Amino acid sequence: MAASFKELPRRIVQIRNRSARFGPRNPLGNSTFRTEVSAYRCCSGAAAGRSTHFGFESVPEGEKAERVYKVFESVAQKYDVMNDAMSLGIHRLWKDSLLRLMNPQPGLKLLDTAGGTGDISFRFLEYTRSVREGQLRHRARANQTPSWQEIAAGYGSEGEEPAESRAVVCDINKEMLKVGKERAETAGITTGLSWVVGDAEELPFNDDQFDVYTIAFGIRNVTHIEQALQEALRVLKPGGRFMCLEFSKVSNPLLSRLYDAYSFQMIPVLGEVIAGDWKSYQYLVESIRRFPDQETFKEMIEEAGFFRVQYVNLTGGVVAIHSGFKL
Amino acid sequence: MAALIRSLRAVRSLRGLGSAVVATTCPASLYGGLRRGFHRAALLASDSKSDQTVPPPSHHEHYQAQEPRQGSSTFSTEQASASDPGTQHEDPWPNTSYQDQSGEQAEDYETEDQLQARILTAALEFVPQHGWTVEAIAAGAETLGLSAASAGMFDNGAGDLVLHFVGQCNVQLTEILAEEHNQVQLGQAEKKKTADFLRHAVETRLRMLVPYIDTWPQAMSLLLLPHNIPESLKHLSTLVDDIWYYAGDRSTDMSWYTRRAALTGIYNTTELVMVQDSSPDFEETWVFLDNRIRDVVNMANTAKQVQATGEAVVQGLMGAAVTLKNITGVNQRR
Repeated sequence: MAASFKELPRRIVQIRNRSARFGPRNPLGNSTFRTEVSAYRCCSGAAAGRSTHFGFESVPEGEKAERVYKVFESVAQKYDVMNDAMSLGIHRLWKDSLLRLMNPQPGLKLLDTAGGTGDISFRFLEYTRSVREGQLRHRARANQTPSWQEIAAGYGSEGEEPAESRAVVCDINKEMLKVGKERAETAGITTGLSWVVGDAEELPFNDDQFDVYTIAFGIRNVTHIEQALQEALRVLKPGGRFMCLEFSKVSNPLLSRLYDAYSFQMIPVLGEVIAGDWKSYQYLVESIRRFPDQETFKEMIEEAGFFRVQYVNLTGGVVAIHSGFKL
Repeated sequence: MAALIRSLRAVRSLRGLGSAVVATTCPASLYGGLRRGFHRAALLASDSKSDQTVPPPSHHEHYQAQEPRQGSSTFSTEQASASDPGTQHEDPWPNTSYQDQSGEQAEDYETEDQLQARILTAALEFVPQHGWTVEAIAAGAETLGLSAASAGMFDNGAGDLVLHFVGQCNVQLTEILAEEHNQVQLGQAEKKKTADFLRHAVETRLRMLVPYIDTWPQAMSLLLLPHNIPESLKHLSTLVDDIWYYAGDRSTDMSWYTRRAALTGIYNTTELVMVQDSSPDFEETWVFLDNRIRDVVNMANTAKQVQATGEAVVQGLMGAAVTLKNITGVNQRR
């Protein structure tokens, strides 16, 4: 039984390779492919109790995590290059917007889930460090001519400096974390950063640990989004903030058509040319289409127990930042 | 320590009310409070302050539902989506959801806005240290047991803090004036003359700025930012209106506008003088205030005199003209 499980995904991958060479995928899939999947579902018995989407395919829930793992294992090395190529560098602006909306004060603890190569964490540390330096400079300037009261007060209390901020990068995929660690070393960020392997649906942390929880371009890969949201609620401190940066629905019909054309025609080609991996990037654009739209996702976040849930569209709805608070 | 005293006071007050259930949960909730701070802290805070010194910011906002705190403890969750998601005001986040506002039946639940008001009130004590900034709000949130990240709830950042403070001061002033009005009605105090009343009201209101006077210029500049001007003008106009109402103004003609315009001018200029005043207890400011009020009163009197004089002059001229016509015989009927 176990052996047959391993064979069947490979068979499906082969079938997909074959159909992919016939040009852009029909979003509804072709019939031969469907029968293969249903045959798979028939003979896999217990594990195929419920199925979920993997791009435009249906797969059993147990399978999705493994397949997502494989996708990111293969793209890890070229992940950052591909991001720049696919979004024409705009993903950096999106991530900067996320940080600006977060506006973190020094001393906060960030959990960067599905953080992979650590983009958000690096930006977070940079932001809080520059804010902290500003505060220290301001304090030093204010202390230039202290009044006698301030001098007297200064004798008692020590260590009133703003606290250090810390970021924890959590990802299910070791390859992505490895790439992230290398990037951290080249960037020279040594303190305040830790790398943890963990599943977003079952975080290896205690309750009430973090001030901010972010998940950037990761939540659509999670099998059970509600569980991930509940885990986020669990590990956040009271007053903590949940922020999600994710691809979303474009409302403008003209832009939507351009975007679809670009996604389905260009991106897998880029994936093949730059990273040598067509199907992973096919999965990427398909998973974007399967993710719920802004309002639906906002409702899901509210269901999980967050308050004051808001969202902002960036680039006309291509990307949306959702934010909620644990109160 | 302060929290312990608060809980003791709460327990004592609740014992008087005879609600044993709450009393037993009080000390336990103190330590679980940090985890369920949103709910339990509200319970402690609401019970130790019998008179609501935290003013509902919904005073001027029409879409809030203000439910009474004492109700049955039906477990109403605030997790149901809001029924009015489309409430728009000038926001960088145009798609906000406000949680169920009628879900305030249980004693230990409060709406988001009340929590925000509490955070801002707590943030005020950090203003002398951090100024009117998001850092002060973050520090205030931390005293309530919430993470500093919750300062991100305030889209307008420091502007929210300043507007909250101004609103709070205005409400306090209204309460003081109402109380004095009651005293006068009951005959326990004498009715002041208009000029004295205005002076007293403006001085009381400006004295509320004294703890924050060092950072007040920063607050004034925040109030003048274009996106804050509508709100700050609203606060100013309600302040001036309230003061004139309690001064006894019931006019329905042009003087309604002129009086309020005059008082607005007095208030703003006195505020500016106060900000750069370094005399002990701001004596020079009160002298300036006296002079301005006297000027306005004089202006009013002068205006009346000018009008009367003008009328007299015109009548005199008319009389001279008629006399001249009579002398020259133009008026003769032929």
